[in-house]
Amino acid sequence: MYLEIKNLSVKLGEFHLKDINLKINEGEYVVLIGPTGSGKSVLLETIIGFYSSEEGIIKLNGNIINEIPPEDRGIGIVYQGNVLFPNMDVYENIAYGAKKKFSDEEIDEKIKKIAKKMKIEHIINRDINTLSGGEAQRTSLARTLIVEPKIILMDEPFSALDISTQEKLTSMIKVIVKEYKTTVLHVTHNFNDIWNLAEKVGVMKDGEIHQLDSVSEVFSKPKNNFVADFVGVKNIFEGCFIEKDLEKMIVQLKNGSIITSSDIGCLNRNEINLKEAENVLMAIRPENIIFSNEKFESSAKNQLKGKITEILESGPTILVSVDIDGVIFKGLLTKSSKEYLELKENKDVYISFKSLNVKILDSYNSVEH
Amino acid sequence: MRSKFEIFFILLTIIVTLLFFVVIGSMFLIPTFEGFINALFSEKMVFAITLTLSTSLISAILAMLCCIPMAYTLSRYQFPFKRLFKIVIDLPMAFPEIVIGIALLMFLGSNGIGFHLDNLGIELVFNSLGIIIAQFFVALPYAVRTLYSTFNYIDSRYEFVSRSLGYSEVSTFFNVTLPMAKNGLFATGIITLARCIGTFASVLFVGGGILMKTETLAVSMYLNLSTGDIDMAITAGILLVIISFITIAVMEKYAKENHL
Repeated sequence: MYLEIKNLSVKLGEFHLKDINLKINEGEYVVLIGPTGSGKSVLLETIIGFYSSEEGIIKLNGNIINEIPPEDRGIGIVYQGNVLFPNMDVYENIAYGAKKKFSDEEIDEKIKKIAKKMKIEHIINRDINTLSGGEAQRTSLARTLIVEPKIILMDEPFSALDISTQEKLTSMIKVIVKEYKTTVLHVTHNFNDIWNLAEKVGVMKDGEIHQLDSVSEVFSKPKNNFVADFVGVKNIFEGCFIEKDLEKMIVQLKNGSIITSSDIGCLNRNEINLKEAENVLMAIRPENIIFSNEKFESSAKNQLKGKITEILESGPTILVSVDIDGVIFKGLLTKSSKEYLELKENKDVYISFKSLNVKILDSYNSVEH
Repeated sequence: MRSKFEIFFILLTIIVTLLFFVVIGSMFLIPTFEGFINALFSEKMVFAITLTLSTSLISAILAMLCCIPMAYTLSRYQFPFKRLFKIVIDLPMAFPEIVIGIALLMFLGSNGIGFHLDNLGIELVFNSLGIIIAQFFVALPYAVRTLYSTFNYIDSRYEFVSRSLGYSEVSTFFNVTLPMAKNGLFATGIITLARCIGTFASVLFVGGGILMKTETLAVSMYLNLSTGDIDMAITAGILLVIISFITIAVMEKYAKENHL
């Protein structure tokens, strides 16, 4: 394990990072998401050594680094916005850290090389106050990469940039990180960063990491209702367990609707000690809900009838809320599908979803929904 | 087309500034030219000018040397009773300067540590050293307050980045923090020097206002006014205005040339 954090606790005034455990392999790109104030930035700044931990250990490449000062940890950081030194030009900013490691000739050569890669050759002697947001961030990244850190921490590096620049920088980082074989821990609010860059995703709230898994695991199999809600699973329902066999589980919602789940992983792992009549929490992603005007034969085991209560346009997609006897299901569909089905408020529709897409949440009681 | 709001604000600024100009300028009309020249080149005045500038420069440098670590500490570090320390440092700005003068005299005089220092042959009151101490105590709170705002304004993430790039806390302070604080340092320098030059009551108490020994320009102005030597008093006043004006003008020019 390259970066390993065990039972890390940090107290900063009222804020508390609690019992953080995190493992990152060498060369891995891990994205950390969570609401504002969840402790993502504090975690990064604790790893780099700006805050001291109360308990726990931080291991980098097998060595415990808790007591090592930030300048000797070999960890780089890239922040949101322009954090370039205003008393230096672009070249001097990039050379700043390199001066500690390389000779002037080596620095010159390395700067030329990295400037070409980061497409900042044309601005290399510019005053940093004249840079655009994208240029400033590329310079920041070059300044961090040139010292060849063991790991790079990124704290919302693209959030102050326009969408087009964000996309260009994301593509650039993807290539460069692979080329430099850099390990990255990246904090973001932008889910696109996850799709484009992450190999693993961590979800934080109130100073705790609630789930750290592969991207597909976190989005398709959230560990609890907070993670499910945060990653956009709009449909989280509490139901009463009725029966199960090796292939499926039957759950009855409060409104009486029967839902079938084939969350085989959960059934096989037997992580939830289900007993009859015990409450369980289910999650269905809105994009897995199919709309129709009539009941139809399909492989989807769950088919329910309800009334449309709300239609919300959200860019290219539309979020439709359907009231099924007092329980609201939310589904996503395209504009053309909405027009084809002539969906409108108060209209009766059928919704269907595969039992495979009904996920049972593991830690039902761990967070309040 | 200027708005009424804009016109009102500009007019108010012009009127109040003119009022300042008239009040200060009127002092220049009082003495006769001959009286002014005689007073200016008198031995007493030359001594007062030299003493004021030399003591002010030393006390301003000492205040700057102390205020940089103090302001940085208050801005960046957490320690017990920090708020109380901040209040104590700010306190002299809130009460009349004469209070510092009396307090210093009590502390440094024969009733305080002066008694013990006298035995060691060290005298801290009624001499130039006393003037420097008085100027230092008056100017330091202003210096700390101004520079504290500057350090607060500098995002600590710059320092974090510097540390992550291999620089120690000390190197980061000199390579990143101080250069970024240059505008604030510059402003603090002006305020501190001006405050030292203009210090009166505490200098009078701690220095004793002794003729040709501890008579700074401000003290000279007061003493000559009380003995009826108007030419000397007004000349000292005019000199204080001219020195302050030159100080600020030179600093402004330097600031402009260096884009501060």
